[in-house]
Amino acid sequence: MSTSLYPLASLPQIEKTPSREDGIPGDLEEDLRAYGCKLIHEAGILLKQKQVAVATAQILFQRFWFATSMKQFGIGDIGMGALYLASKLEECPVRIRDLVNVYDLLLQRKAHIRAQAVASSLASTSSSTPSWSELKYTPMSYFGNTFYDLKEAVVVAEMQILKRLGFNLTVVLPYNTLVNYLRVLGLTSREDVCTKAWGYLNDAPSVEARLQTPVYALYSVPTIVCAAILLTTRHLGIALPSAPENCWWELFDAEWEDLSSVCGWIMRLYRERSLEDHTRVMGMVAKKGVRQWLEEHRSVGGEVR
Amino acid sequence: MSDGAGPSTPSRKRSRWDIDEENDQLEQPQPQPVKRRSKTKSTKTSPAPEQAQHPAATHTELQRTSTVHKRPPHSVFVPPRTLHPPLMPSRSVYCYERLNSIEEGSYGVVFRARDKVTGDIVALKKLKLDEEKNGFPITALREINSLMVCKHENVVGIREVVVGDTLTQVFIVMDFIEHDLKTLLTTMPAPFLQSEVKTLMLQLLSAVAHCHERWILHRDLKTSNLLMNNRGTIKVADFGLARRYGDPVGVGGLTQLVVTLWYRAPEILLGATKYSTAIDMWSVGCIFAELLLKEPLFLAKGEIELLSMIFKLLGPPTPHSWPEYQTLPLAKSISLPPPQLPQLRQKFPHITAAGVDLMSRLLTYDPEMRISAVDALKHPYFSESPLPKHPDLFSSFPSAAAGEKRRKPYESPSAPVRAADHKLLTDFDP
Ligand SMILES: Nc1ncnc2c1ncn2[C@@H]1O[C@H](COP(=O)(O)OP(=O)(O)O)[C@@H](O)[C@H]1O
Ligand SMILES: [Mg+2]
Repeated sequence: MSTSLYPLASLPQIEKTPSREDGIPGDLEEDLRAYGCKLIHEAGILLKQKQVAVATAQILFQRFWFATSMKQFGIGDIGMGALYLASKLEECPVRIRDLVNVYDLLLQRKAHIRAQAVASSLASTSSSTPSWSELKYTPMSYFGNTFYDLKEAVVVAEMQILKRLGFNLTVVLPYNTLVNYLRVLGLTSREDVCTKAWGYLNDAPSVEARLQTPVYALYSVPTIVCAAILLTTRHLGIALPSAPENCWWELFDAEWEDLSSVCGWIMRLYRERSLEDHTRVMGMVAKKGVRQWLEEHRSVGGEVR
Repeated sequence: MSDGAGPSTPSRKRSRWDIDEENDQLEQPQPQPVKRRSKTKSTKTSPAPEQAQHPAATHTELQRTSTVHKRPPHSVFVPPRTLHPPLMPSRSVYCYERLNSIEEGSYGVVFRARDKVTGDIVALKKLKLDEEKNGFPITALREINSLMVCKHENVVGIREVVVGDTLTQVFIVMDFIEHDLKTLLTTMPAPFLQSEVKTLMLQLLSAVAHCHERWILHRDLKTSNLLMNNRGTIKVADFGLARRYGDPVGVGGLTQLVVTLWYRAPEILLGATKYSTAIDMWSVGCIFAELLLKEPLFLAKGEIELLSMIFKLLGPPTPHSWPEYQTLPLAKSISLPPPQLPQLRQKFPHITAAGVDLMSRLLTYDPEMRISAVDALKHPYFSESPLPKHPDLFSSFPSAAAGEKRRKPYESPSAPVRAADHKLLTDFDP
């Protein structure tokens, strides 16, 4: 059992992330982080990549934004770099070419969906019927500039992640800890508990969203695992000892305040988002979009919301 | 993609860290503003500066101190948050002043250098990154990661990874260790004493056990990759070929291009693509022999010669000693010599029966039967007389790596000191 100490963001890094320093509002940063993670997850599925590599990539991605502003690098590029790097770390490397193709496909598909959504929301205000069309995906040429640019972007992103995280890539995934804790609490026989807690670790009852919050860069694994168990048992109405002098999470050295904070992060992922919110992040996968947004919102002055 | 360099440093004429630069002018790069930086690695030994840096590391930390009811101390498996290192970017190689170059190895170049702030003497290993089409090489990642994961008293300490001006300049910063065992063995006037060999073997075995416990195979254990300081402590170094085991292995299996020939286990020589911790244990056996002989055990020029030397020393493998032998890819192409008894006893006339027994358990043909590091640590050889010598009682040697000259062998004061040590040893209780 390895007890190596993985890095966590420090308090100043948490309170003022580099992106917020650059004027990117907190909720936008949160959405962009979540969206970047979602792209990593979807790319992982298309690449048939191992879950551990995808989860590692998402954690590296989250850590990166405590070291760097989204004005400087795009979530798309850094996501690719993180997946590329994590795949090597987990001894299941992917080819740059495959990775770049998958991201290109994903982004084209997103752009298409976004265009459709915008069109149909316009249509619903007027009276014309929306016309849904199939995405016509044109794979890029291996010798074209797009391919070389994207390939270069992956290599640069990988190196930036390494440098800005000081080459400390120690990542501890929560799954073993979860199994141990459930065993200690005598909950392993409840299949619904295991499934649900597992889902919360990946931040999601829905398959779509996984590991999309920064909690793995903020809290230790035991704390996160306890939070997942807390949400699960509350949700399923299972009673565990929670009196002040005798509460189950203290068994695992977790603090109530940390637990509730992790739960908050996870639950915030499910707040309602408008179509504008969705299309907004889709337009900011590259840093160009972020910069443009900042440009447009600067005139308002001060902290923009 | 070009604004990745971050806040750009004013361009320097030429990097002192460019390897090919030989003139040692006193042109220093501009002093960098000393960053407020509590060294990540130091947190383990002294949590104090870390705490100072985050006076209230989490919101709860404050409340925690005001909470009255007593909590049991944290379990070792759940270190408090303040012990986790913060996210820290790589520092610049200009934080170090280059001293002498130690050795040009197969994979990188190693320098001795001084930390400009603390004055610590360190070793910097420059990673070879040019001509890479696939981004940061996986081998370099494994090397850095293994060093970080395998921290141990007998594994060379990694301090940080620093970068130079260009993306191809990446250096591993390690504690500087005065000697490597290979150089030491060839220059020391007399071989190690039995008691010293035991100490060194215990250290080596506990480092190897530690790595194996963390699922890391070293895959290149040999005397030139074992460093030793002047306080009688061995440090396993050079994780350039290390990798995790237990991972599903990709097409083609694990590479056979591992382990320097003389230390290579027979199953690799015979083309096995599945191998495990046992290959490191074979190397440990070869090192054990080398410590006693003061020269490598199998000085072979090629694989065939190596195999025949092994067969000669241990007797050829039999269906009993190595049931899987016939299934190995290259076994068919090798004609075994006629059966013959092992020669270990004759080869090492000066060690006890327990010593020979340990040697034969390390140099066991069948990787399944070969002794593990954890079991070897418990071998009776280490608890019989002479007992392992306390590291503090080792004599020190001039360090070739630090550029120190060796005194002529016969002026060496080490011989009488050794005699005195021996006397100390008899009433020394480890
Ligand atoms: N931390 C260190 N302190 C002192 N010398 C070192 C250190 N690390 C390496 N060396 C010296 O440099 C040599 C080569 O280093 P090594 O890591 O083995 O690189 P390579 O992969 O090129 O063999 C070693 O044999 C040793 O002599
Ligand atoms: Mg070496």
